[in-house]
Amino acid sequence: MSASGSGVANLEGHTEFDITWPWTRPGGLRPGATAVLRVKDEARSLPWVLPPLLRATDHVLVVDNGSTDGSPEVTRETAEKAGLADRLTQATYPFQVARAGAEHLAQPERSVHSLAYFYNWCFAQVQTRYSWKWDGDMVLTTEGEVSIADLGWQVGDVQSIIRVPRHGLYLESDAKGYLDLGLRNAEEWGFPIGPDFVFTKAYEWEIRTTPEPVRSIGLPHGMCVELKYLDGDEFAHWTDPASFATSYRNKRKRREWTVYNALLEGTVLPGVHEITAPEGVHIVDFVTHEWLPRAPRPLEVGLPELAPVSPAQQALARREAQP
Amino acid sequence: MTELSLTDPTTYPRKVLFVAGAGRSGTSTMAGLMRIMGLHVPQPEVAADETNPKGFGEPRWVVDHHDRLLKEALVQVSDSRPEAWFETGRVSTREPERIATAQWLESHFQVSPELVVKDPRLGWFIGLWRVAAVRTGATPVFATMLRPPSEVVGSKQTYYANRLGSAHLAASWLNMMLHTERGTRVGAGEGALAGGRVFVRYADLLDDWVKTSMHVAETLQLQHVLHADSEQIRDGHRFVDPGLRRMSQTLEDLNLPPRLHELTGATWEELNKLADPGGDTPAVHEALDQLREAYVDLYEESAAISRSSVVAAEQRLKRQRPPAPPARGVADRIPHGVRAAIPPSVRKGLRKVAGRERPDAG
Repeated sequence: MSASGSGVANLEGHTEFDITWPWTRPGGLRPGATAVLRVKDEARSLPWVLPPLLRATDHVLVVDNGSTDGSPEVTRETAEKAGLADRLTQATYPFQVARAGAEHLAQPERSVHSLAYFYNWCFAQVQTRYSWKWDGDMVLTTEGEVSIADLGWQVGDVQSIIRVPRHGLYLESDAKGYLDLGLRNAEEWGFPIGPDFVFTKAYEWEIRTTPEPVRSIGLPHGMCVELKYLDGDEFAHWTDPASFATSYRNKRKRREWTVYNALLEGTVLPGVHEITAPEGVHIVDFVTHEWLPRAPRPLEVGLPELAPVSPAQQALARREAQP
Repeated sequence: MTELSLTDPTTYPRKVLFVAGAGRSGTSTMAGLMRIMGLHVPQPEVAADETNPKGFGEPRWVVDHHDRLLKEALVQVSDSRPEAWFETGRVSTREPERIATAQWLESHFQVSPELVVKDPRLGWFIGLWRVAAVRTGATPVFATMLRPPSEVVGSKQTYYANRLGSAHLAASWLNMMLHTERGTRVGAGEGALAGGRVFVRYADLLDDWVKTSMHVAETLQLQHVLHADSEQIRDGHRFVDPGLRRMSQTLEDLNLPPRLHELTGATWEELNKLADPGGDTPAVHEALDQLREAYVDLYEESAAISRSSVVAAEQRLKRQRPPAPPARGVADRIPHGVRAAIPPSVRKGLRKVAGRERPDAG
């Protein structure tokens, strides 16, 4: 999708959901960083996700997309309870968005049902110069919180992407979970807001455009966990989990699928840590405030059999290995 | 967890006080007082000299660590570029630096649970130190010293014979103070950013260090200071010399360009509010946010206007470099090991293509 002009009209003619690029608005963008969450049925996770994110950023935008579990109400209550409701904006995107995989591939980029259009619409609501793409199940650790908080203002007007590693945390109960450190996985989550950084279509999902050359920095491991519930349907937003097998782009999903199904069968795979919280402490608090921040460094992450295979990932791994 | 005992410092929770602020703002006096009250200054430290006869209170390792990181980031101690914060922030994300910083901190927590770390370069690495505190299970707290910019600039010129103009010194003071304020700003609630901070006017510390240091201790919950004994207080009186404040310049004396003058004056006014009891408020943060933005704008405009100076400096550097060695043939640029791996027949063919056939041996 091109970022020329003042915005993009959608194919369906829903003019109230046309995209107006925020840098073309009167007054332009202000300094600071906004986290953008696109949420569908994340009421269980949001009370863990939002407080550290609200503390670490200047603003949090939560866009609800068809939740039926009360996510918008939980969002508001969580921000109020944290005393940070002034940093929260809520919005609703009413259209059904294509699930990752084949359904996404079939959608034209300018359709309101396209993931790329949905993301562009969400990020067009941002009023700050920097943004964090965030998920409704991603919880910052203490170290992640302070790192994101610093980079959010340090980045200033520098056109830089920031990669944030995350680790799957599979929850069995309030006291017990399984942390997957088997896969090295750092995705690009921090982006400037501007015409060089908009969303366009990729094979399974959306991708953000970048200028060339662009600066890029990566945070160390242990910054963030992604909550998964062993009693939930973790793969509902995929058209067909069988399509995970198609390419190395889906490696993370394949690993999640393997770990999740092994845990359901009672097997803890290599690279997965079984963690029990002390009495009276919730497992998510324990892992994000104690276990991960205090784990010996460098954190042992990544099984050899899950090493990067794509040329781009290998190049990234080489860059990260440099002092 | 062990219960806190007022008389047993080994039960105090781990805490590290970082003393920040521009150089020559009373950071040594603050760190020295904290040491007298019982906080531990990690050893060895930088020796006293004529610029600071009572000692700096600066751990040697910290100074060397910061110096090396600043060099890697290509940032100067008094750097007026707003983007310098991204460069030092980027270096601070590196895992080996986080590990080294946390290990150093951990080794000194073995000596005492309450540490004081001070270095004028510290402002550049607040995030790195906060991470190190998190990794060692400690609460990081920050005391930022405030001294009128006219006096800081005057003091620097006197003591360090700094040849840089006062405009550059004032700009780097603005850059340091506006961003140190942002970097130490705490989040609401129970989060990792809620360790605490306090702003202290150097003048207040010299006028009544007893009252001022108790305010610091109460705000940051420094157990050693809260429970200091009478001999330590006597030592404090012996240490603080009200005559230290030798400068009495005004901002007008610096003859700054009008917009810089205005920004410097307004920033000092807002920072001062932070030092008042209950003065660390969202309204002041907002005003400082606007001043920071105005400074960034002013810097970017000035950099655009003076771009020719940068180009000329680059050209001068290029001319000073030794001339490049004469160009060699393609084959000479291929490492010997690689050349040797090419079969002789292929090498001969390549030489022929390049028109560099060797005369047949014979």
